Amino acid sequence: MGDYFSIERFLKLIPKIVPQLSVTFAIVIVSMVIGTLLALVVATLEIKKIPVLQQFLKVYVSYMRGTPLLVQMMVVYYGLPLLMQTIFKIDVNSWSPIVFVDIAFILNEGAFLGEIFRGAILSIPIEQTEAGYSIGMTGIQTFVRIILPQIIRSIIPAYGVDLIGVFHNTSLVFTIGGILDIMGKAKVLGTATGHTLDGYVVAALIYVLISLVLKIIFYRIDKKLVFERR
Amino acid sequence: MIEITGLKKSFGDNKVLKNINLKIEAGSVVSILGPSGSGKTTLLRCINFLERADEGNFQFGDQKINLKHVSKKEILSVRRKSGFVFQNYALFPHMTVLQNVMEGLVTVRKIPKAEACKKAEDTIKWVGLADRKDYYPSQLSGGQQQRVGIARAVALNPEVILFDEPTSALDPELVGETLDVIKKVAQTGITMIIVTHEMAFAERISDKVVFMDGGVVVEEGSPRDIFVNPKEERTQKFLSRFIQKDMYYI
Ligand SMILES: Nc1ncnc2c1ncn2[C@@H]1O[C@H](COP(=O)(O)OP(=O)(O)OP(=O)(O)O)[C@@H](O)[C@H]1O
Ligand SMILES: [Mg+2]
Repeated sequence: MGDYFSIERFLKLIPKIVPQLSVTFAIVIVSMVIGTLLALVVATLEIKKIPVLQQFLKVYVSYMRGTPLLVQMMVVYYGLPLLMQTIFKIDVNSWSPIVFVDIAFILNEGAFLGEIFRGAILSIPIEQTEAGYSIGMTGIQTFVRIILPQIIRSIIPAYGVDLIGVFHNTSLVFTIGGILDIMGKAKVLGTATGHTLDGYVVAALIYVLISLVLKIIFYRIDKKLVFERR
Repeated sequence: MIEITGLKKSFGDNKVLKNINLKIEAGSVVSILGPSGSGKTTLLRCINFLERADEGNFQFGDQKINLKHVSKKEILSVRRKSGFVFQNYALFPHMTVLQNVMEGLVTVRKIPKAEACKKAEDTIKWVGLADRKDYYPSQLSGGQQQRVGIARAVALNPEVILFDEPTSALDPELVGETLDVIKKVAQTGITMIIVTHEMAFAERISDKVVFMDGGVVVEEGSPRDIFVNPKEERTQKFLSRFIQKDMYYI
């Protein structure tokens, strides 16, 4: 057992684990894209303060932000089939575990990004809308040309942090139905070979490298779009 | 050209505009004076539908509007014939000076980009900011920002421009350059309605001065009528506070 880690095994594991990034990325992309759309809806509805719906959204957001993602994933994985069976009489047990993970991530992102969007929308002064109207723009033109660009610019840093968070959170998905993302693959290989650490070191390196790249990308975008500094 | 009759507006229980009747001739410059809270801004905003009046009639050229039942189409049509200059400029911070002025020409008027750019550049030059056209609003002084605000309105060739205290957010030394540009706008013959506390300026530039207090038009007339021979006691009282400060050289 003194032989926890060897460079040789480490190098051999890299080509086995790296391809599993496609699984990780697929989850990140699906949850960011659909999560962003959901978050836009959540933020817009929250701002409109529609009675009942407003209370419902409050509960939803505080559940998503107040419980660990791992718990949320379990609730979706074990709870959703039951719900679909009793209410819609649909058997979803045959669905791939990935689908449940995606749903859990999307719901989580809807809340987290929703709060980011809401703050960004509310931070734009009402005069901006009025100025759009005053030059004869319609509501849609004002939103697309005046408000949305300002929202996008103000959320970029937070959006980048959130994206990296989601990327890290995918390290939890192997706990469901044996999904083989990079973390799942590292664990499986570790168990098979009896050398647990090697695979996790590979995974850690991948996480670090990609996080760094994402961070730099978002930093660049942010720098490029700043219009308020001299 | 513009005629407002029986305009009323409340915020909750607060009756802000009680029964406004106002006629504005084409090509004239009308100044609206009055103490704080008298409803000047609200009136201006009602004219551009940034605020909805509760009732009244509004005539703009040939267009007659019942303010109680105004349609989206009517609102848009009025806004496309008018410009608004905001107290706090309200420039688009994500756009350069040039883009700010082009925006209405391109997005609203659908003028081809090259032509819109030319028109915007001419207007920017006209307000004296040719060398600042590629700056962002945050890189400009208040006076320069307000001149961009004026250029943004003027570039669209509106029939009327509404100014809400265009110089009151400015440092004193920047007021002059902004007033000069407003005067230039007046000389082009565009109809203008200006809410202002710059009495000397209002006196010089206006064809008609309107004094408001407590949500009603107390008195209106030529600058001479209002500044030299005000009939109403409330007007006299209001002006007496400014006379020494602003008007001693008239
Ligand atoms: N959006 C609003 N909601 C509620 N009350 C408002 C609103 N806007 C204005 N008021 C009220 O209407 C009254 C008139 O306000 P308004 O801004 O039109 O005055 P004003 O003559 O422009 O004053 P000032 O010279 O200070 O700009 C004030 O009592 C104000 O509190
Ligand atoms: Mg005002």
